[in-house]
Amino acid sequence: MRLHEPADPYWDAFINRPPADLNNLITHAFDSMPRGDVHPVRGEVHSPNVMANHIKELGRFFGADRVGIVELAANPFGNAEPAFAVVCALRSEYDTRHALGIGGQAPALKALFVTFNLCAVIKEMGYRATSSSADRDRFAALAGVGRQGPDCHIAEIVCTDLPLTANLRDGGGAIASELQHRSGEPAEGNRGRGS
Amino acid sequence: MAIEPVTPTRAAYDPAADTEFPPPDLGRTVHVVGTVVNVDPEDTPHPKVRRGEVGKALFNYLRNTVAVDPLGRTNSTRARDNRNYFTAVLRQTATGAINPTRTRIDDPAAMSRHIKRAGRYFGADSVGIGRAHPALLYGGGAMNDHGDTGGGDAATGSPDELCRRYPYVIVTPVAWDYGMAQAHRHHIGDAAYDTTLMQTVLVLTAMERYIKELGYTAIRGKVNPQAAALAGGVGELGRNGLIISEKFGARIHLNDAILTDLPLAPDKPIDLGVEDFCKICRKCAETCPTNSITFEDKQVFNGVEKYKIKWETCYKLRPLVADHWNVCLTCATVCPYTKPNVWWRTLAVRTLTATPTAARPGVVRALKWIDDRFWGKFATKRVRWLGYDSGIKPGVKACTVAGCTAQHGDPRGAQRSAGDTRQLIQLESTNIGYYAPLKENVNRFTKRS
Repeated sequence: MRLHEPADPYWDAFINRPPADLNNLITHAFDSMPRGDVHPVRGEVHSPNVMANHIKELGRFFGADRVGIVELAANPFGNAEPAFAVVCALRSEYDTRHALGIGGQAPALKALFVTFNLCAVIKEMGYRATSSSADRDRFAALAGVGRQGPDCHIAEIVCTDLPLTANLRDGGGAIASELQHRSGEPAEGNRGRGS
Repeated sequence: MAIEPVTPTRAAYDPAADTEFPPPDLGRTVHVVGTVVNVDPEDTPHPKVRRGEVGKALFNYLRNTVAVDPLGRTNSTRARDNRNYFTAVLRQTATGAINPTRTRIDDPAAMSRHIKRAGRYFGADSVGIGRAHPALLYGGGAMNDHGDTGGGDAATGSPDELCRRYPYVIVTPVAWDYGMAQAHRHHIGDAAYDTTLMQTVLVLTAMERYIKELGYTAIRGKVNPQAAALAGGVGELGRNGLIISEKFGARIHLNDAILTDLPLAPDKPIDLGVEDFCKICRKCAETCPTNSITFEDKQVFNGVEKYKIKWETCYKLRPLVADHWNVCLTCATVCPYTKPNVWWRTLAVRTLTATPTAARPGVVRALKWIDDRFWGKFATKRVRWLGYDSGIKPGVKACTVAGCTAQHGDPRGAQRSAGDTRQLIQLESTNIGYYAPLKENVNRFTKRS
């Protein structure tokens, strides 16, 4: 449902006017916040195909409209375990790249809620998880969840070593290199932003 | 010489003396009939529990308990690492300043429509705007997003002064999922309830910062959210002590309200027939496992006439069940108003509200009969969500996920394969233990009033 009505004289500023203080934009204020670490005991998980379905359902529960999973050829955590990228897409009414107002960034805010909580749950299950904005468009295309635009917002990619199944496999080099760049070493689930 | 301790005078609203503020209109279910002493946030449940005034078990529960369930560790105060708890992280973020360039507002009604639209755009299921009143405010400090003290905004002044400076309150409730709420007293119900709480805090924070961007003040933690919801026409107060909303019944989360000087046109309280329904129904009182809900009529407490619940006994259940689930929610789930937001529910509510007050008891009895006939006294629907199954007794090790081939450390699991899932469910059917603990069990440690 399009909530904008022509009679609303404040809607355009709500969507398009950049905030005077960036800290009033929650997504910006959240950027510098530390993320939690990984539970020291790995919990029992269902089989990878079941777990993949559960992760998709969990993503939708947190607010995503479409969730896809891509297997990464290169593990961004720097070990030999298989790693996966969970890609979430949310319906949007404005392109978050251009609508810079607090309202225009609402889909990014909802996406932050999805990725943060997906990462948090996976970490509390004892697996590593981190979010990255690198290569979002390419992963979204691979996962088949849509593409960033006026009607769709692609959330940060959740990278995890939780055993999942994916239909597609990708290099994942961009994500791995970005995470290494942030922390100065192979990304761990309990280090750096998004970990 | 004995020195008498000086007791600071608590702020209070006296309808006879405070002529500037006539008694607030909170609808049919709640009436301010006498002097209301503004409740100090330190005297509310969470701070009392945190200080150990409600017993050691609750003290330990709130301070030292970590949820056994991974989801529970990410969406409640029972987190292992607070950095994995969204609300805790959100509270730590830097807050922006009020925009020095105020948005000019010529038409408060247009701004009210805009604020409601913006609230829904952020994710609220309804938005209520009420007129601030001294009787609605806390005295002293402020509440934070966990229902505890030590947060909120540092706005100073008496309730009267605050209401003069910031004449409006905004509430932005988010409803939790009906299907998942059927599995209350279970991790599934916990997930629905606690995640909704996080969403409510997110919406409130987004609204608070947007109002600051408009150039106006937005204060959190100063207003009783239930009173604000009544004033803002979000719902009515039920016998269960919960706000019963028009579309979602009692399955809404309020958390907090925003006090603001943004020029708005406040709503009026609404009449959903809750006053008439609660007089007759008593379903929540019958099913409450701790007998915390009264069977009696309303009473006047602190100058306010309403149904008074015994929150102490309600809270005391929590540490006893903490290994299996977190929040009870029986009263919210069994409430006949708590139904999916579909046409027949709307029809029932509209039928009741369109009936003259004198004739409503008959309609209520008919609706109650239908509710008992089709939904029963308790929620008995078995809910499966992710790997959870509300049909499995808390603590019993069993996996009923279709297609799961994992061993789960269960010797019986070794015999499983993807094909014999149905057989497994039958095998475990003797363990179906929905709705535990039963009220009879709980009666052992709580006294019936």
